Amino acid sequence: MHAVDIRLTVEGVAAGYGARTLFSAVALELRAGEALVVSGPNGSGKSTFLRLLAGLQRPEAGQISYATGGVAYTPREAAPLIGWVAPDLMLYRDLTARENLRFFAAVRGLRRDAAAIDALLDRVGLGGRGDDRLATYSSGMVQRLRYAYALLHRPAVLLLDEPTVTLDERGAGVVESVIAAQRRAGIVVIATNDPRELRHGDLVLQLDA
Amino acid sequence: MSVRSEQPVAGPAVPALRTILVAAWAVFVKDLRTELRTRYALNAMVLFAACTAVMVSIGTTFIGLRRSEEALLIQASLLWVALLFAAITGLSRGFVHEEETRTLAALRLAAPPAAVYLGKFLLNLALLAVLGLITSVLFIILVRVQVGSPLAFLLMIAAGSLCLAAATTILAAIIARASFKSALFAVLAFPLLVPPLIIAIQGTAVSLDNAGLDPVRGALQFLVAYSVATFVTSLMLFRFVWEA
Amino acid sequence: MAERLGQIGKLLIGIWIAGIAIAMFLVIPQYEGLGNAGRIVIMHVPTAWVSVLAFAVSAVFSALYLWRGRPVYDHYALAAAESGFLFTALATVTGMIFSQVVWGIYWNWDPRQTSIFVLLLIYAALFALRSAIDQPARRRQLSAVYSLFAFVTVPFLIFVAPRIADSTLHPNCAFIQGSACDGVTLEVGKIGLLGDRKVQLLGLERQGDIITAAVKVSEPGLSSETILRPSYDLAAGDMVARPEFPGLRYQLGLEAVDLTANSALLNIEAPGTGLLENQRTLVTFLAAIIGFTALFVWLLTLRATLLDVQWALAQREGSRL
Repeated sequence: MHAVDIRLTVEGVAAGYGARTLFSAVALELRAGEALVVSGPNGSGKSTFLRLLAGLQRPEAGQISYATGGVAYTPREAAPLIGWVAPDLMLYRDLTARENLRFFAAVRGLRRDAAAIDALLDRVGLGGRGDDRLATYSSGMVQRLRYAYALLHRPAVLLLDEPTVTLDERGAGVVESVIAAQRRAGIVVIATNDPRELRHGDLVLQLDA
Repeated sequence: MSVRSEQPVAGPAVPALRTILVAAWAVFVKDLRTELRTRYALNAMVLFAACTAVMVSIGTTFIGLRRSEEALLIQASLLWVALLFAAITGLSRGFVHEEETRTLAALRLAAPPAAVYLGKFLLNLALLAVLGLITSVLFIILVRVQVGSPLAFLLMIAAGSLCLAAATTILAAIIARASFKSALFAVLAFPLLVPPLIIAIQGTAVSLDNAGLDPVRGALQFLVAYSVATFVTSLMLFRFVWEA
Repeated sequence: MAERLGQIGKLLIGIWIAGIAIAMFLVIPQYEGLGNAGRIVIMHVPTAWVSVLAFAVSAVFSALYLWRGRPVYDHYALAAAESGFLFTALATVTGMIFSQVVWGIYWNWDPRQTSIFVLLLIYAALFALRSAIDQPARRRQLSAVYSLFAFVTVPFLIFVAPRIADSTLHPNCAFIQGSACDGVTLEVGKIGLLGDRKVQLLGLERQGDIITAAVKVSEPGLSSETILRPSYDLAAGDMVARPEFPGLRYQLGLEAVDLTANSALLNIEAPGTGLLENQRTLVTFLAAIIGFTALFVWLLTLRATLLDVQWALAQREGSRL
């Protein structure tokens, strides 16, 4: 398996909420096959940094761009290339896991048959629970489904905010393998304070409170 | 753990019209399914309309209104008052629910904005179709509204509902990002709905009379023009709401 | 240099408006039939014009903001909306005063009253929306969208408004010189409308060259009826008696008579010779329009600059606006 042609460039990025500046002048570059770990105390802006990378928020200053095939894209334009897992990623509680995944496949313009969705559910360890509504799920199961949501479109860039939060040992194992597979195929960015996860990073971005 | 079989696509492309329509339909079906399971919007809307119809019925049945031009206008006004306020209780639901359950981020990352707008617009149309049908029947039974030209009446309700959906769907998206959502929705929607409501009330009053389709033709044209204008503008502006 | 020019401009606008205010009372002649109340038109029409202008300016800057994303455009859009709201309120109040004095009612859902009422509601909605969003960037973006969206729906009001009521308080043909009312030609016994009054030609009487018509005039809603007797001089080819409509300062004129068809042309007329015919009045009126437009531009730039400064200060201190 060869790594895809993808590059993430962050230049002079700053973010904050009103009076409080979280971080400023963050600059880095990532290529396919590389992993970045963002760490720092609570409230240092780890989640915000990942939201900027996902294009869910705009930076107060600076530029973020994804380049593939010699063309640069803003994070919003690059949405089909990005998979995002975070505690504040919420899926539809009144739908089943399968309905959720079918829906997100359809709005992304992907063809995913039942077998593909079953395979994905198996991969994150939710095989057999696909027809239950999310309202009946535990928080760990919801976290597993977030991975299915993020991997559905086989993204070149995977953004993981607190990847193993609420997961059990087996769930953490799933995350390990997802990270390992993604590192072979593209870019991984992990926001964490867990020392076990710090070792995944080729680069570490330390944010201070 | 299976190995991934498909590589990521070369680059993000502007979604084709077909892709957008498929995605819009998916949004619509998803929302309809959620709505059928929770019946949150529909229950509130229909109950509101039913309460209004009952109140109007209790209030007016005994006065024995003579069937004059004024009586028809009064009946049409009351019908549209019921429809408008019932609609305002329910039409913001599509976006507000996404905001409240914090699913907007998941949707923003996955769906093209135009598809989200179209899907929610279709949902509001469907809700209004049900609401219009139930409210009309209630008014015919309880308020003794006699429909002289059924086809004209049906077309007036449909065209008026189209205006409501076209004008309020983008407003629902706007207020979903603000505080005091439901009050704000009415405040933002009402001034923009004054023109189509006036025409819809007058046209509906005419359709209650036994005059056929011709007298309401002008009103229908106006309502369709208003719907097209607000729909196209919404489609153009929705991107900015979605990115805000 | 620019500052000096600004100072001079401000001073000029002040003198200009003061001049208009004086001219309103001293220079223009009292409008026959309307009395001193007629003078308010010098205020009313320019403020109404500015409220529409401000709405358009606000929409233009909203579009610029969405296109370019620079906060300064939003400041202009907000400043235009704020001063537009002020002028809209002024136009409404002056209009209501005039309406009460001349026609005896404050409010009638006259087409222009409906339009300005909706305009007031839109401005209010815009301010309500702004106050309900905390994040500055989001507030700007969403209010720009609403402002533009509202702008698209307003033209529909212009089509709708005349259909709301048969009546209009706003003087059209009967008031503004140069645009004449067509009037109605009625046969004896027939009914027609003049403005919001129902008129019925009861009969025509001839005495020498003078034809006198008996016309039954009904108030809107048929609350009262009166018989008026306008007359026409066949020899001179001109109207003689022009009785006033009850409760109005308008007159009923008999403009032409066709004795063979037994019909007459009736028309509603303003007393006197028209407000704007007088040269001094016309000049004052135009000066008022220019003055109020300049006042609006000055308010717009002042408020927008203030918002700019506030924003810059907030950014420097890092506090949220």
